[in-house]
Amino acid sequence: MIEWLYLAVQAAALAMSAWFFVDTARSKLVGRRHFAGVAVLELLLLAQLAVSIAIVPGEAGGGKALFFSYLVTTILVPVAACFWGSIDRSRWGIGTVAASGVIVAALLLRIHQIWELQINV
Amino acid sequence: MSETEAAPRALAAGFGRLIVLVYVVFAVSAGVRAVFQVVTKFDAAPVSFTLSAIAALIYLVAAIAIIRGAGALALLAVGVEMAGVLAVGALSFAVRQWFPEPSVWSHFGSGYGYVPLVLPAVGLVYLFKRRRA
Repeated sequence: MIEWLYLAVQAAALAMSAWFFVDTARSKLVGRRHFAGVAVLELLLLAQLAVSIAIVPGEAGGGKALFFSYLVTTILVPVAACFWGSIDRSRWGIGTVAASGVIVAALLLRIHQIWELQINV
Repeated sequence: MSETEAAPRALAAGFGRLIVLVYVVFAVSAGVRAVFQVVTKFDAAPVSFTLSAIAALIYLVAAIAIIRGAGALALLAVGVEMAGVLAVGALSFAVRQWFPEPSVWSHFGSGYGYVPLVLPAVGLVYLFKRRRA
């Protein structure tokens, strides 16, 4: 993993989450600007995937399958949360998407751990 | 689905939606990890990996019960989850040799940021609140 890209994705996930939780408190419905926010996070995650496909197979460690299964799951979580959250007519619609940002951050932490301990050895 | 139709608000609506998302994520991540561990290195820590698989199954049952509006089943699943994380959490400190590798519920879920301990507590409060409402 490229450290600055990892930190950028991590920051984006937490920023998106904080923004959406503010909108949860304001009882906002899931709207177009929220989808734009999720799209930005997804682009960063896809960049992370592209970079990983380029550099991970050349590394020595044995955790590659684990690494990619975590990364693909991470990419899917905000998308699933968008579908699941946007059908809700209460504040917890956007609250659900906000939670997905925290989940992404936690999964990225784990992915970074796998990179450091099981791949880039 | 008759319970869903009778209720003015589905169990998976509102805050329940956030709970379901977390349960599904935990069912998938704990489940895939447990299957991987059982298949590749079951003998290394049979108790831990079996307990992780059971935990994943309970997460899945809880998620489906909430989605389908089955309040009683959801309460049962989340109740078992709460008892499980407390029992396994205590056992992992008391009988260390059973847990050479951690399970999802070892040390009260410390490997997962204690979410496995907080989740059933939040779930029980939500389900009891909705039941009275």
